Amino acid sequence: MTLLQVQGATRRFGGLIAVDNVSMDVAAGEIVGVIGPNGAGKTTLFNLISGFTPLSGGEIRFDGARIDGEKTFAIARKGVGRTFQNLRIFPNMSLFDNVSVGAIGMLGAGPLSSLRRDTKVATEIAERTWTALERVDLAREAHTLAANLSYGKRKYLEIARALAMAPKLLILDEPAAGLNDSETHTLAAFIRDLHAGGMTVLLVEHNMALVMSICRRVVVLASGRKIADGAPDAVRADPLVLESYLGVEEEA
Amino acid sequence: MDFYLQQLAIGLSVGMTYALIAIGFTLIFGVLNVVNFAHGEVYTIGAFAGLLVVTTFAPPLLAVLLAVLAVGAFVGVGLERLAFRPFRRFSDEASLKSRAMRESTLMSSLALSIIAREALEIAFGSRFQSVPVAAMINQPIALGPVTITNGDLIILGVAALMLIGLQYVLRHTQVGLSIRAVSNNPLGAKYVGVDVDRTIVWTFAVGSMLGAVAGVLVGFYYGAIFANMGFTPGVKAFVAMVMGGLSSIPGAVVCALLLGVCESLSTAFVSSVWSDMVAYGFLIVTLIFFPRGIFGGARERV
Repeated sequence: MTLLQVQGATRRFGGLIAVDNVSMDVAAGEIVGVIGPNGAGKTTLFNLISGFTPLSGGEIRFDGARIDGEKTFAIARKGVGRTFQNLRIFPNMSLFDNVSVGAIGMLGAGPLSSLRRDTKVATEIAERTWTALERVDLAREAHTLAANLSYGKRKYLEIARALAMAPKLLILDEPAAGLNDSETHTLAAFIRDLHAGGMTVLLVEHNMALVMSICRRVVVLASGRKIADGAPDAVRADPLVLESYLGVEEEA
Repeated sequence: MDFYLQQLAIGLSVGMTYALIAIGFTLIFGVLNVVNFAHGEVYTIGAFAGLLVVTTFAPPLLAVLLAVLAVGAFVGVGLERLAFRPFRRFSDEASLKSRAMRESTLMSSLALSIIAREALEIAFGSRFQSVPVAAMINQPIALGPVTITNGDLIILGVAALMLIGLQYVLRHTQVGLSIRAVSNNPLGAKYVGVDVDRTIVWTFAVGSMLGAVAGVLVGFYYGAIFANMGFTPGVKAFVAMVMGGLSSIPGAVVCALLLGVCESLSTAFVSSVWSDMVAYGFLIVTLIFFPRGIFGGARERV
């Protein structure tokens, strides 16, 4: 079943066409990588999907319904979770509170009802929060401030916050940026694990080795256009990709 | 010695009224990073609303406070709609943090505050409106050498209740967690399903409820309500907020008390007409020597 369907998505900023008529699908349970050189339009594409930037043309469907034109928070509540290249955690809140914001948006207790009391929704929020924190191995530090966390752990905190939303689609924006080789390795295993657990993942990443090793399908963008879409091996051999992306990297 | 004790008691009571205003002021600043210059007028409107309720129905104080809370929430929502939301058209990070954004809302809230003040003056005249004696909260209570009033105790109680209640809301409720999330990182909050616009409306509603209650309490305490009454306390609350580190509510409360006590004790040395200079002096000293507030680096946001 197609979960995410991008059709002819176009975004212009003045005279610049950041995303030019891009179409791509993500089926439920898939793990898809999006790669491309700097300025290829990867981040803009993600911003279009999550409703942060309005489309200039085309349409986006999620779970059967059109989502373009909806507000960012409403799209998130429909089941699109995402993390950021430059992290957007809540530094002055505890890890527990950080993650529970993800669960709150989805479950929605009454605005002034207590979250610490033993109501049904409050219990479910707490349960989801603990499950997500345990999933990323941060449960023991649940009550420390997020600001005191190391950079690597902040990434996992952000993933936990997205997981607490119980998203249908998880968008990871450059999760390996700033991590060393062994950390990247651990992260790859973690993402593979998430996918094995049934999560649909859309991954933007500069680290080619990571993308090629965990994604079954790779979409390549260059100058706002989609130039390839297929299995990692096929994409790697594609002359257009070699010219616009991989070739440049080898020379550099 | 008795004189100083009495001045100390007066100072604490004045400081407490500054604190009442500073709490709502700081809450709004902490979430949006913008100064809401209309907060003083919310305080004035709260006082007038209380006066109208009292002169029409003469209900007990608690009922007056509840009515004023409702008015405050209403005014807060309207204020956000008119002076703040129109400038939030662009939601990317650069525009949220831009100076243009901060300065435009500063001007729009200032404009709205002038309109509110003038409208009140046209409607009620510029003379003091006196509060019915029965509704005033200034029965003296002798405490050893010091005399305080029941209003001091009521203001102390309400301020404590407001602080505790606000902490409860911020830490234990859905709206509170959303407010803190938006205060920490509005974009991050948006992407995990927080309705940022609605959260900001809530923040204004809560902050303005606190401001309006402060106005009615202080009005009933001094017995005089007038269109311009929000200006000076608003400036003092602003000073307390800056001294407390801009976005720390407990810091603002402590500094408000400190400010009240210093002003009151200063009258022992200089004429009382100069006591307003204390606040401005504190502001200048803070800005020069403690630009991050007198509690320094330990900056706790909302």
